[in-house]
Amino acid sequence: MTSLIGQKFVRGDGLEKVTGQARYTADLAFTGLLHAKFLYAERARARIVDIDITAARAMRGVHAVVTQADAPMVRYGMFVKDRTLFAHEVVRFEGEIVAAVAAETPEQAEAACAAIRVVYEDLDPILDVEEALKSSSPLVHPDWKSYQTQNGVERGPNDCGHMTSVKGDVEAGFAEADHILTETYQSDMAHAVPIEPHAVVAQWQGDKVTIWSTSQVPFPARAGVAETLQIPQSNVRLVVPHLGGGFGGKCDFHFEAHVALLARQARRPVRLVFTRREEFVATDKVRHASKIELTTGVKADGTITARRARILLNSGAYCGDALFTTEIGLMMVAGPYRVPNLHAEVHTVYTNRTPAGSVRAPGGPETCWAVEQHTDELARRVGLDPLEFRRRNLVQAGDTGQTGQRFISSSAKECLERAAEIAGWPGKDFAPGEALGIAVGWWFSLPASSGAYVKLNADGTGTIVTGAQENGSGSVMGLATLAAEELGMRPDQFSIVYQDTESGPFDLGSAGSQTTFNNGRAVIEAAGEVRTKLLRKAAEMLEAAEEDLELVDGAARVRGVPSKALPIASVAAASQTSSLLIGSGSGNPPSLPEHDLSGCGGRLGYSAFLAPSFFCHIARVRVDEETGTVSVPEVTAVHEFGRILNPLGAQGQVEGGVIQSIGMAVLEGSQYDGGRQLNPGLLGYKLITAADAPRVNVELLEDPVDHGGPHGAKAVGEPPVVGTAAAIGNAVAAAAGTRVRALPMTAERVWTALHEQEGELA
Amino acid sequence: MAMSSKQIVELNVNGIPHQLLVEPRKTLADVLRDDLGLTGTKLGCEHGVCGACTVLVDGRAIRACLMFAVQAQGPEITTVEGLASDGELDHIQKAFAENHGLQCGYCTPGMLMTAHAFLAENPEPTREQICEGMNGNLCRCTGYQNIIKSTAAAAKAAK
Ligand code: FES
Ligand code: FES
Repeated sequence: MTSLIGQKFVRGDGLEKVTGQARYTADLAFTGLLHAKFLYAERARARIVDIDITAARAMRGVHAVVTQADAPMVRYGMFVKDRTLFAHEVVRFEGEIVAAVAAETPEQAEAACAAIRVVYEDLDPILDVEEALKSSSPLVHPDWKSYQTQNGVERGPNDCGHMTSVKGDVEAGFAEADHILTETYQSDMAHAVPIEPHAVVAQWQGDKVTIWSTSQVPFPARAGVAETLQIPQSNVRLVVPHLGGGFGGKCDFHFEAHVALLARQARRPVRLVFTRREEFVATDKVRHASKIELTTGVKADGTITARRARILLNSGAYCGDALFTTEIGLMMVAGPYRVPNLHAEVHTVYTNRTPAGSVRAPGGPETCWAVEQHTDELARRVGLDPLEFRRRNLVQAGDTGQTGQRFISSSAKECLERAAEIAGWPGKDFAPGEALGIAVGWWFSLPASSGAYVKLNADGTGTIVTGAQENGSGSVMGLATLAAEELGMRPDQFSIVYQDTESGPFDLGSAGSQTTFNNGRAVIEAAGEVRTKLLRKAAEMLEAAEEDLELVDGAARVRGVPSKALPIASVAAASQTSSLLIGSGSGNPPSLPEHDLSGCGGRLGYSAFLAPSFFCHIARVRVDEETGTVSVPEVTAVHEFGRILNPLGAQGQVEGGVIQSIGMAVLEGSQYDGGRQLNPGLLGYKLITAADAPRVNVELLEDPVDHGGPHGAKAVGEPPVVGTAAAIGNAVAAAAGTRVRALPMTAERVWTALHEQEGELA
Repeated sequence: MAMSSKQIVELNVNGIPHQLLVEPRKTLADVLRDDLGLTGTKLGCEHGVCGACTVLVDGRAIRACLMFAVQAQGPEITTVEGLASDGELDHIQKAFAENHGLQCGYCTPGMLMTAHAFLAENPEPTREQICEGMNGNLCRCTGYQNIIKSTAAAAKAAK
């Protein structure tokens, strides 16, 4: 019997998406629907002296106006309970929601927002992370000490989470070094930018509310609604129609409760749809601006002896789910290298800017970029080719990582060699301004509980009911292959019921690249239960022994006697008069590899990397010396993902991630004037388009692990976005002869670097 | 009072004539979605950059968020819902579905409409021409690789 695993299957939801029939949240129709608009602070930091909603409430078409006075006084937050649904006494960033309106038309709602009179007393905003950490700085949250936190979170004034990772003796390591290099890198705030803006619809029936939302995380979003409105979780149903991309920007609990509150007051369904400007200013879920300081000791032969690292993350006004970034960023500072002595610390700093959180591969691209620029500089110091320098320092099986985890295997070197081969490292026949740059990195698989049900229907089809959430990547669509493999059926014979908190069992949602890894295990377990029942029933019907049966091509048959067979449909139909062919599964999450946290501090959620995967990216860039513009004609991306379950899906993730990362490398960053974003739109904040997009050479390697996901798989969604910006940075430095130490490496920054260099030479 | 600001607009969409009472400030995209229920046309930015709202107006790819409905009277308007006939996908839809030319699918209707207008003018495009031709539509998921591949496959299938 040929396995379905690793075969190419076209995704199941393609048909509805190419016909325009796929319904997204903003497409849903409701009788009596009202439209929501938010009133934002539009200033970085102020005290609210007075809010007057009387005029707004009296306006034509207006059915509800709500402020914090209408909501329970609950502080919420995943790690630190530091915020309220609406501004309470103060505003802390420009996109802070002060009030919300529901009216018959969006225009009426907007007019009513404009009619709400708010008197502010403006305060000097806290913007700079270094300044904010000084003891003399005013506080973004004067009451921070009284906030509740998750276990293990260590904080300070203006610091919602700091963490330390220590290994060996860093001073002794520096003493062994022949060279010590210190560098500082900075990255601008960047956005997830799904093409579908946020949208929420809420409708009450009695004391129960159904919320349709563009959420990546229906279960956590439901919990957020229940917590902030002080109602039982069982009174909240969260449904996600088709989701138009997320990339982390739609993780965490956001605007569902605001809309539910409006709908309750208005006694009608209410819909919120964000404009693109709101997507930039108000989503409070951006990639942190960061400052990364690295000091590394290296021997003359290129051996790394020690590293000290300090990362400051600009977390904006609230903590949100930012500590994922903190934890993962911390684990990226050693890179996939042997660093015997390490001292690293990360601070998550409150400022009066848009709150940051986990965007696809939180803490990944920016830290990998800084570390890999630094790696090339170290190679240059000791006079080694960047490839050779990496060869000498990459982790291998048997090495111990940053927190003492022992690597059972490591494909780091294989990825490096394969990428070098494909890209033709060190490259030749370069046009003027052209060069290659290389970067390596690693990522983890997130273990989490997750559940699914599988049932077989009388017509021989199957249904998977899962709590998992499809963000567009195809991970939920791919679950059908796993069930089909267990049951000797075809993936297209399964329908999937998903992203509805009333039907599927709990799942973390589309976050942390965890769907296939965790829900895949659950689906296999559920299908396994169905398999057992199916074989029992078929054995009875065929008058054969269960052990002699196999499930192939949609039939149960006696091994070696193909004529003695029954279509699965007949067994399923027959089971309707006896015991049904249903199963449930909740794969037990694998535990983290053993490691050692002595000397470390703070909440270290990712203190070891489960089923680590490795990659190497090589970018070819062209730097226009006149303008500083960087173009990227080719990227090679080699990833090892354990076991490739769905090659088309995995390849799609790599291609999409690489192109996103090119955007981060050369285009994407928010510019600020004080506490206000200067480019909150797609004209000012540019994305890579088809004309800029290079050909991406993807190669996927396998190194199945038994402490990982289904069939030895590892996480796929996030790693592809981590390495490309780093490779581009190194290529830019090689081409321009000077290094740009800020992300994005815009034309202006490259041009300035080129000029400074001329100045230095003159 | 609100009614008096509305005006009758005649639109010809996917071969069907419609008479609608709409405010003159309403965009074609909003009228297609809200008044005609054709939600296949997506809104990603409402400022003319993302291309998700692309429809065909007399065969030309137009951003429906930048055009008022009152301006669209007369010509033949085609939306993604008008591509398949009798439940049979057209060659471009087929190419995108079969070549994994989509992930979340939010950009897909706009991509399909742009591909239509582009391939009508460039029946045998090179890869570079496809990249240029599809340049006005943003996709955040696919990295464009499979969109380019799907467009090339559609060109081939049309021959
Ligand atoms: S919605 Fe029209 S171009 Fe973006
Ligand atoms: S498929 Fe998601 S934006 Fe293109």
